[in-house]
Amino acid sequence: MDQYDVIVVGAGHAGCEAAYAAARIGARVGLCTLSDATVAHMPCNPAVGGTAKGHLVREIDALGGLMGLAIDAVGIQFKLLNLSRGPAVWSPRAQADKKLYGAWMKQALDREPGLDWIIGRAGRILVERGRVAGVALEEGGRIGCRAVVVTTGTFLNGLIHVGPETRAAGRAGEPASHALAESLKSLGFRWGRLKTGTPPRLDRRSIDFSRFEPAPGDEPPVPFSFMTEAIDRPQVLCHLLYTTGRVADIVRRHIGRSPLYNGQISGIGPRYCPSLEDKIMRFPDRERHQIFLEPEGLDVDETYVNGYSMSLPRDVQAELVRALPGLEDAVMLRPGYAVEYDFVQPTELYPTFETKRIGGLFLAGQVNGTSGYEEAAAQGLLAGINAVRRTRGREPLVIGRDEAYTGVLADDLTTRGCLEPYRMFTSRAEHRLLLRIDNADLRLTPRGREVGLVSDARWARFERRRERYERNRARVRRTTVALDGGKRLRAAQALRRPEVRLERLAAQGGLALEIAPGERHIDLASVETEFKYAGYLDRQQAAIARARRQEGLRIPGDFRYAGVPGLSREMVERLSATRPATLGQAARVPGVTPAAVAVIGAHVGRGAGSGPHAAAPAPTPGENRQPTST
Amino acid sequence: MYSPDDTIVAVATPPGRGGIGVVRVSGPAAAAAAGAILRAGHDLQPRRATLTSVVGAPDLERALDQVVATYFPAPASYTGEDVVEISGHGSPVLLRQIVEAVVRAGARLAEPGEFTLRAFLNGRMDLVQAEAVADLIEAVTPLQARVAFDQLEGTVTAAIGAIDAALFDLSARLEASIDFPEEGYHFAEPAAVAAETRSLQQRAQALLAGARAGRLVREGRQVVILGKPNVGKSTLFNRLLGAPRAIVTDVPGTTRDLLTETAEVEGLPLTLVDTAGIRRTADAVESEGVARARGALQVAAAVLLVLDRSRPLDDEDLALLHETAAADRVIVVNKADRPPVWDAADLQDAGPRVTVSLRDEADPAGVRRALAELLWAGEPLRDTPTLSNLRHIVLVERAAAALARAADAADAAAPEELLLADLQDARAALEEVTGKRTADDVLQRIFTRFCIGK
Ligand SMILES: Cc1cc2nc3c(=O)[nH]c(=O)nc-3n(C[C@H](O)[C@H](O)[C@H](O)COP(=O)(O)OP(=O)(O)OC[C@H]3O[C@@H](n4cnc5c(N)ncnc54)[C@H](O)[C@@H]3O)c2cc1C
Ligand SMILES: Nc1nc2c(ncn2[C@@H]2O[C@H](COP(=O)(O)OP(=O)(O)OP(=O)(O)O)[C@@H](O)[C@H]2O)c(=O)[nH]1
Ligand SMILES: [Mg+2]
Repeated sequence: MDQYDVIVVGAGHAGCEAAYAAARIGARVGLCTLSDATVAHMPCNPAVGGTAKGHLVREIDALGGLMGLAIDAVGIQFKLLNLSRGPAVWSPRAQADKKLYGAWMKQALDREPGLDWIIGRAGRILVERGRVAGVALEEGGRIGCRAVVVTTGTFLNGLIHVGPETRAAGRAGEPASHALAESLKSLGFRWGRLKTGTPPRLDRRSIDFSRFEPAPGDEPPVPFSFMTEAIDRPQVLCHLLYTTGRVADIVRRHIGRSPLYNGQISGIGPRYCPSLEDKIMRFPDRERHQIFLEPEGLDVDETYVNGYSMSLPRDVQAELVRALPGLEDAVMLRPGYAVEYDFVQPTELYPTFETKRIGGLFLAGQVNGTSGYEEAAAQGLLAGINAVRRTRGREPLVIGRDEAYTGVLADDLTTRGCLEPYRMFTSRAEHRLLLRIDNADLRLTPRGREVGLVSDARWARFERRRERYERNRARVRRTTVALDGGKRLRAAQALRRPEVRLERLAAQGGLALEIAPGERHIDLASVETEFKYAGYLDRQQAAIARARRQEGLRIPGDFRYAGVPGLSREMVERLSATRPATLGQAARVPGVTPAAVAVIGAHVGRGAGSGPHAAAPAPTPGENRQPTST
Repeated sequence: MYSPDDTIVAVATPPGRGGIGVVRVSGPAAAAAAGAILRAGHDLQPRRATLTSVVGAPDLERALDQVVATYFPAPASYTGEDVVEISGHGSPVLLRQIVEAVVRAGARLAEPGEFTLRAFLNGRMDLVQAEAVADLIEAVTPLQARVAFDQLEGTVTAAIGAIDAALFDLSARLEASIDFPEEGYHFAEPAAVAAETRSLQQRAQALLAGARAGRLVREGRQVVILGKPNVGKSTLFNRLLGAPRAIVTDVPGTTRDLLTETAEVEGLPLTLVDTAGIRRTADAVESEGVARARGALQVAAAVLLVLDRSRPLDDEDLALLHETAAADRVIVVNKADRPPVWDAADLQDAGPRVTVSLRDEADPAGVRRALAELLWAGEPLRDTPTLSNLRHIVLVERAAAALARAADAADAAAPEELLLADLQDARAALEEVTGKRTADDVLQRIFTRFCIGK
């Protein structure tokens, strides 16, 4: 008898969600991690959310995960980004009290009776007959289980650089994992090496904040979770300043000592999060760059210097900090650094996050080439759910690109792979207008409920909210209102005009809406958007229907791409390695041209490349639960 | 099933057109096959024509003495694979024997279009060019060939590509504004976005304006010749064809059935239809012919209405003038060699007309020109890239419509993500013509152009 159903290796952002989800569903879970003092640690920016990332957090929350609740509990500055634009791209972001965040997560996990902590270093994945059988610890001892979720972040062969100093480490102060890396490699997975970096930290007491532009949060703060009514923690200010010509001069003078520029680092870094070296060297025309000073907690002295990530030697970093106007006397508590690490090419995975090579072995988080807490958490949640479903022989939970950013994430990773650290952007979601924070619950809470993750309390609240939503929609369709011109027309029609807002229609009488006190924002936004952007939403629905046709053509697992005329050897290799499950996925494999897709489609249709297997239409990835305006 | 690793062979020049014929061999074993069948086959220099002969075919030795072989190593070849081209005298029999020799050396016969398919799949040409190859091979008129050649050369691709590239760049800036709202500046100023979107829409529209002409050249039109009996319809038909295809007699009611032939008129491939003269008649065969003539009028793109100037205009002429008034038509006032009994000016607003003696003019140039002018309808083929393929036209129309929506939205100061929904539609349509781009490409552009992120 195995000791656990699921062992999760690593208690970072992916691991915490995975272990929590698995335990909530009723599995016996072992959460193996190096130390219980670094649970859900934020090694970089002490913040959750941001464009598209905020969407991911809302989705995690809608499915019944932890991240939204955690940040609402410990957030010290909240901001809804993109408010000047339409509701599809509103994205929440919040500064976290970093220590409290980890503590809150640990407590939430401690409360799960089915979850045991295993403090130790996983060294080997035990495999029997192509299936996972357990985990061996480096300290000795084997623990049997039926599924493993590896979420070790930047730890696999991690190597930290501060100028010429290098150290094997997963992140500052924590040793790297070598044995586990070798164990995974020996299973045959394809690998790559990436790099990321973090800025220096300053002592708050040495900073003259009066010299900077204050950057406040929203008042009142808008929470992440559908369960949170209000944020009661005191809120803080961030501060904005700019780099100067002097900063650029110093960087240029010392560029030869940057591991990024002298060949010491080979891993590929995230271009959307450029190091200071890259900002100066690659964009010499840009006069100045924004820097935000962000507190790491309410009563913590460490201050994060957002936008100032670098891996120059310590002395240069200290000089660069003091070169910033207002930071002449700042004390650097610890230098910034870059870390290189191994990751598994996520084309090795199914969209369930199970590896294609080893049954029952799941990978989630930065180990799959992503970067960011939210991307990690979203993967962890799906991997945790699917690990349990795998042990129970249940259909996996796969979320479509047209259902959620989470679905876009899973599909991008597993069909395209990673050449650089993957971060979510709203532009990655082709059906962006439908994937909004105001309808994340409508899209996903029923799915979370089906897999057993959504609690009774959340479900009851959701059902009330959904009923309000339906009734409000009906009222907008039915009720006629008088606009300024005096002409009466249906509220649904009136809302199509850019200047007409639902809130005003409701306030001016005539249109009675049901709005729950703590959910005003969501109640209004989810109804208004449906009518205001009806034309766009209808077009996106039509695009989804078109995409579904391709998505619906399933490619047999043993399809022989080499048997399809005219595919280049390179395409045959990529497709054979990725093994897309549907024609739609095949179309998204890099380098596959539309013509090649057409040819493959024709051959799958005929069953030509597959020997005896006839092609059957695949079930669409998650039935569409998108509410439409009619 | 056949595979891309096969080496394929076929005659690459159109059948039965004398002169030189070319046998093309493509695939990994192309050079080896050449080595097996050509005397100098192992000594071919890349991209250099070599005079040699075919070996191992004793009875043909003399005839195949004079082939020119050229070796194009991958990837700089038509298909992107190793290619050997063998040119010989254009006799179909000889070319087939060369093909058979290559097949004996291990190649297989190419499927129709397979060279082009390989070229396309290997990235040697885009979809538009691949389609143009087919058009070029099937071109009947020189103008068709020119349009197809333009497309092969990539001028359409270039024109669509230029719109797409501008659109791509605009999208990247708008996306950057959404995904990096904290950067503190607009990557695309709203007023400029509106103007840019409009101008892109106009560029797409301009391509479409040329499209009518393009389709005309590619697909041609059906033109029906109508008139009373004995006015000279069949004579006109024969004159335009340049051959005595239809029976001409002085007996009214000579033509009974529809006669259809294709002819080139001013570069346009036209399908000409000669018809039975229209009159009330008791004859069952003739009245069926009259009904068919009227049917032809329904489907034709244009009408040549023939009138006889040496006889009075009667009710039947007037009825025909009335019946064809709504159609695109040219009135051919015939038998100008005989004394006129009415004046062409009597027809007043009847539209373009040509007075002619079909008996005396072997080549009725006036009729040809008037017909061509009518079909171009003030849309002469300009020296701008021409869309001629219906698939492309439909896609560019879709793009233009999406751009129009985006331009309207931009004028109304709609937020970026709504503009982008339409721009995304437009790009999807344009890229369906030429190739594809992904979200990753947009991000790539953002990151190379802007210093973004914290
Ligand atoms: C220096 C640095 C800079 C970063 N900068 C950014 C940034 O600018 N922007 C951004 O979005 N993201 C950044 N990140 C990434 C972000 O921190 C991660 O993407 C995210 O934390 C990944 O979550 P995870 O759950 O995959 O792994 P992690 O949060 O790294 O968690 C890994 C867990 O695995 C455990 N572990 C490791 N090895 C073993 C083992 N053998 N046995 C048991 N347990 C083990 C560790 O103890 C840890 O709990 C940065 C990370 C670092 C280290
Ligand atoms: N003098 C003169 N005779 C012409 C001219 N054009 C045609 N004809 C003669 O007119 C007669 C009828 O010509 P067709 O071309 O057969 O006329 P049609 O309109 O086809 O007649 P149906 O088929 O009977 O309807 C023939 O004898 C022609 O030679 C012309 O320009 N001048
Ligand atoms: Mg006749």
